[in-house]
Amino acid sequence: MKKLHLILLGAAVLIAVVFLSFSSERMRSWQSGYLRVSSPALQAGSAISGQVAKLQKGLKTLDQLEEENAVLTAQNNELRAASQLSGDLASENQRLRSALDYRERSAFKLLPAQIMSRDASSWWNTVKINRGFAASVDAAQPVLTADGLVGRTTTVSKDISIILLLTDENCQVAARVEGTNEQGILSGQRVTGNASPELVLNFLNRDANLQPGMKVFTAGVSGAVFPAGILLGVIKEFRARELDGQAIVEPAADFARLEDVFVVLGSK
Amino acid sequence: MIRGIALFASIYLVLVAQEFIPPLPFLGGAHLILVPVLFCYGALWLSFPVMLGLALFTGLLSDLAFLHVVGDRVEIGLGWSMLFYVLLGTALQPLQPLFREGRWEVHCLAAGAATLSLLLLQYIMVCLRRGSFFFDWTVFWHLAGPSVLALLLAPVVYLFFSLLPASAPGRRRGGGLTR
Repeated sequence: MKKLHLILLGAAVLIAVVFLSFSSERMRSWQSGYLRVSSPALQAGSAISGQVAKLQKGLKTLDQLEEENAVLTAQNNELRAASQLSGDLASENQRLRSALDYRERSAFKLLPAQIMSRDASSWWNTVKINRGFAASVDAAQPVLTADGLVGRTTTVSKDISIILLLTDENCQVAARVEGTNEQGILSGQRVTGNASPELVLNFLNRDANLQPGMKVFTAGVSGAVFPAGILLGVIKEFRARELDGQAIVEPAADFARLEDVFVVLGSK
Repeated sequence: MIRGIALFASIYLVLVAQEFIPPLPFLGGAHLILVPVLFCYGALWLSFPVMLGLALFTGLLSDLAFLHVVGDRVEIGLGWSMLFYVLLGTALQPLQPLFREGRWEVHCLAAGAATLSLLLLQYIMVCLRRGSFFFDWTVFWHLAGPSVLALLLAPVVYLFFSLLPASAPGRRRGGGLTR
């Protein structure tokens, strides 16, 4: 290797080491800057992805119609397509109505947001939403749907925020089981094979009498990110371990179909 | 020159586009990871100084795209991917003469091995940070799935960049290591 190449290699390694020495706050601020710069590309990608999803949905419906109604005339197909279109609109209308209704009856001040994209990495479960500090979003704010808790904000840029999902092992929530004194720490799993994996509730009493179907809520310990009383999920299974008990919890929110979420900005 | 610019632009575009590609259920929910495939092409094509620039650019963008900050804790800090790509590019440079002779399989193997190494290193760092280590079939597929896909998609990337002119008309070609 040439001497010049060695010098350049040393310089490149030095640059990487300089970045490695950054504090977590500085790294977060760089990431926020990256999101700000990438915001137009991410928004365009989100719009294109939405259109493609709609197109796929439409094509699937047409396929099904073809299979089921091979002998229908062109007019019948047209009528069925029109009916399907109004069905999609009605379903979207229903979804938005229920979201609006939840927002109005909630005890929290909620900011509606839409999921833009999902983390493409293998080891972390995060999503990006189309709201940032321009809409008063801050780091470490809870994010939920009408069904239950979704996660918390981590890095926030002007128009985009990253949400650490409840299904991530790093998202740990103090939880209590409905109708009992049992409290534990709920978290996701390190590596999961699907988009809506089960959660684990650790540090329970090993002789706790927990039955499948019992609801799990946030405990709301003082100074915590999550307020008390947000539904997390339903117990699916309980097992006593050597020192403590562990429950497998089915999440209340459907992580495979997340579209609209709310950021909790504070109490009303 | 044109190929070099296209590589820089593609890496950014692929990083953004990857976020909209859903996990692949037939590979245990693993994701499609194309950045190492593009970088390996660059490392086998570009001159050493430009390759270093591409490594720093790729590493910085990858780290920023996947930075995982919870409270005050960062799982894999800014700079690790830069270091990975700088060392990977340096290791691949001696294979450049073979690649320039048209041995496209060098790129294929490099892309698969690079994707596997990157994911394995990430997983080891995550395990060290979280204080426990386990390995099951889901972890296996999250490592092997994207690596196999990288291996399979590498010829497409090779073909795409081979169709691009290496330099602007009227300019000297290439600029990589010469034999």
